[in-house]
Amino acid sequence: MSAYLAFTKKELIESVRTYKLLVLLGVFLLLGMMSPLFAKFMPEILKSVDFGGMELTAPEPTAMDSWTQFFKNVGQIGLLALVIASAGIMANELSKGTLVNILTKGMKRHTVILSKLTVAALIWAASYMLCLAAAYGYTAYFWDMGELRHRFLAFFSPWLLGLFLIQLLILGGTLFKTFIGSLMLTGGVVVAMSLLNIIPKLQRYNPISLCGDNTALMTGVKDVSDFLPAAIICALLVVMLTAASVVAFDRKQM
Amino acid sequence: MEELIKYLPLLIPYAAIELGLLAAALIHIFTHKTYRKGNRALWVILSFVQIIGPVLYFAIGRNDE
Repeated sequence: MSAYLAFTKKELIESVRTYKLLVLLGVFLLLGMMSPLFAKFMPEILKSVDFGGMELTAPEPTAMDSWTQFFKNVGQIGLLALVIASAGIMANELSKGTLVNILTKGMKRHTVILSKLTVAALIWAASYMLCLAAAYGYTAYFWDMGELRHRFLAFFSPWLLGLFLIQLLILGGTLFKTFIGSLMLTGGVVVAMSLLNIIPKLQRYNPISLCGDNTALMTGVKDVSDFLPAAIICALLVVMLTAASVVAFDRKQM
Repeated sequence: MEELIKYLPLLIPYAAIELGLLAAALIHIFTHKTYRKGNRALWVILSFVQIIGPVLYFAIGRNDE
């Protein structure tokens, strides 16, 4: 336990010194503010651009447009930034060999995986909560929010998807020991899940749909039963990938 | 346009963080001579890519020394 705490602390300090924490907090705060601003000013921007005499009018934006933007931004640029910033999570240390010393001194290998997962999950949670708080504040300022149904599930789902991607990066880094290997595995899985998402029947089981139509859940167009299976499967996959990473790391020659 | 000016105080924090990220990347680029991947010119150009640029630099280009 003390090894776990010590290594977790080291990971936290590392994330500060490598600017990872700062960059992710900045990026997600930006995305959080961007979504409502974009929804609010889109009609203005369309009006001010001259389309050669053609009149383009957009309907008066609502709070739901802001949330649609929010889930789109988090799901695309946000997760991309998270993946790029976290891709070196195992690979950086494995390629430099900085783990050899502490592992030969008796620290358990699963401690490394669990510590790294803990810190990455905490940083991701802090960034995402900052993003959500900014989006919530701006949206509440611009519009009457109305009733948001199932808001916990709707807002929690993207975080769970991000956690899944982080754990994929850890597994990729453990298996291939390189930054690119981590990215390739994660990218490959995301592409595969996106392709599977074309099949409507599979959507409610597919983790990738956790950051997509979340506004439909909040307006009541979709129901909890459309999201919960995917969330449960995603959580199970995180646990399974963690176990797989531990096993893979145990067998790896340093 | 009036709308934009009316909401300027809300736009300023956005611009400030955007520029902050860019500045952090540029300062780091110009105070370091070596990069893990790429060279100075590449990173200066890339850091102007909105949002993703600085993330890419700190993840791939930044060298420890």
